[in-house]
Amino acid sequence: MTASRIAGLERLTLGFIPLLDAALPIIAREGGFFAAEGLDVALSRENAWSTLRDKLAAGLLDGAHMLAPLPLAMSLGISGTACETLAPLVLGRNGNTLVLSRRWSEGMPLPDAGTPDGQVPNARNPAINARDFARRLGDRGGPAPRLAMVHPFSCQHYQLREWLALGGIDADQEVELVVLPPPRMAEALEAGRIDGFCVGEPWGSLAQHRGNGHIVASGAQLWPNHPEKVLGVTAAWAERHPEILGALIRALAAAADWLGASSEHARQARDWLALPPYLDRAVGHLETLTIGTGPVQLRIDGDLRPSAEDMAPMAAHIDQALRAQGGRLDPARLATCYSPVHFDAATHQDRA
Amino acid sequence: MPQPLKILLVDDEIVRAAMVEEALGQEGHEVVCRLQSPASLNEMVARHAPDVVIIDMESPDRDTLDSMSLLNRENPRPVVFFADQHQPDTMQAALEAGVSAYVVDGLVPSRVKAILEVAIARFASFQSMRTELDKARGQLADRKRIERAKGLLMKHQDCDEEQAYRMLRKLAMDRGQRIGEVAANVIDILERLEKGL
Repeated sequence: MTASRIAGLERLTLGFIPLLDAALPIIAREGGFFAAEGLDVALSRENAWSTLRDKLAAGLLDGAHMLAPLPLAMSLGISGTACETLAPLVLGRNGNTLVLSRRWSEGMPLPDAGTPDGQVPNARNPAINARDFARRLGDRGGPAPRLAMVHPFSCQHYQLREWLALGGIDADQEVELVVLPPPRMAEALEAGRIDGFCVGEPWGSLAQHRGNGHIVASGAQLWPNHPEKVLGVTAAWAERHPEILGALIRALAAAADWLGASSEHARQARDWLALPPYLDRAVGHLETLTIGTGPVQLRIDGDLRPSAEDMAPMAAHIDQALRAQGGRLDPARLATCYSPVHFDAATHQDRA
Repeated sequence: MPQPLKILLVDDEIVRAAMVEEALGQEGHEVVCRLQSPASLNEMVARHAPDVVIIDMESPDRDTLDSMSLLNRENPRPVVFFADQHQPDTMQAALEAGVSAYVVDGLVPSRVKAILEVAIARFASFQSMRTELDKARGQLADRKRIERAKGLLMKHQDCDEEQAYRMLRKLAMDRGQRIGEVAANVIDILERLEKGL
């Protein structure tokens, strides 16, 4: 359903996957920030990243909460049908946890929370637990442990690989990597179908809360303040609806400002996320929306402006994959995909 | 006659899966069904070695399939999302019917398209069956609500059944709502009143 004007409001549908960093669109809807910009937004909960991707490409969704590397992978045609896609706003930074089952993580220390300003996100070196895991792998023998992440083109995939590499573990030989959607991680770990996973919140802390595993590393330790989720729209949609895109960006920025204004707002946001159409019972173990606290360091209340420089760690992984097939990542394509022009234009108008 | 293909069907809807299985079986294909299995889809694919996987678009298992060719470099049967650039209409129809296909790389697109079209047709007719059923269920629920609302109105407004029904109908017309919705509102308000809230 492409954007249409009904009773003075622009009607849109945005897709999301149940995760804490889907907070901004949920807050913008529940708190009236979309309505204030003349938008009537329906939020469509999707069961899989690939389905969200295909619906966006086919125009069944106007925009979506997306894994940061996915718009680039779509534009390059290496994930699903080739489709020029843009990431005009960062919906969340950090937020990933690496969880190992109790059997594999017994005695491993929690990654250190680090300093609140995020400058030194970990006093503790993430390699310590990685080397410990490598030792346990060597001692135990038997079948390779199965580790899950959420999508081939995700920070979770790349961070899991980098963490394993810190321990000297070959991700293609010594472990088995599988893909599961975030809401399935905790139950798969509990059922013993996987031995660990890398996922966005609240699914890591939920598994730990239920006693099925321990958080042994965080994405913030590896890539401090990296863009984790972005707003994704197709280039064709952005070209057809520049005003609506501007309104969308301003509404999400207003939601982020509101969220950062007080801890009471973080509590209210948690209650909205706990509504059945969104995250439902998955946030039952959280008292408030956990922002900036260790070891996760989730950030959804500011710093929404995208940039190609911010994407450097994941762009390196995509470049490597392309080089393996004799190509390379064109920096101009990266710059177009994560260009701040839409963000700057929308927020500049706001100030004027 | 081309070789029959081995098809893995991933669908939690028992009736729909049976419809698709039946139709593809008639086309001479071998269909392996998977319903609500908690086992890993990776293992299902390894065990059955399908040529085509037909999967409900809304299944969370889609991500697992989507990654197989990228992650399992040594898997003898990598699967790729079937999206024929020359057939955008088929893709759109598949998305709208809520069905998608993953195929072994190198399979002739026309053969996959034929299978996908059979699945699309069955998914679409299942969808319209379910819409009809939901409508019938809604009407039944509405009728029960209207009866309950009439009863409450008769008690609280001291009127007869005919007057109570006219009241509901007028409310519905004034608000531009369905009479079933108005009945639900009336029940809500009058029951709260009775409980003294």
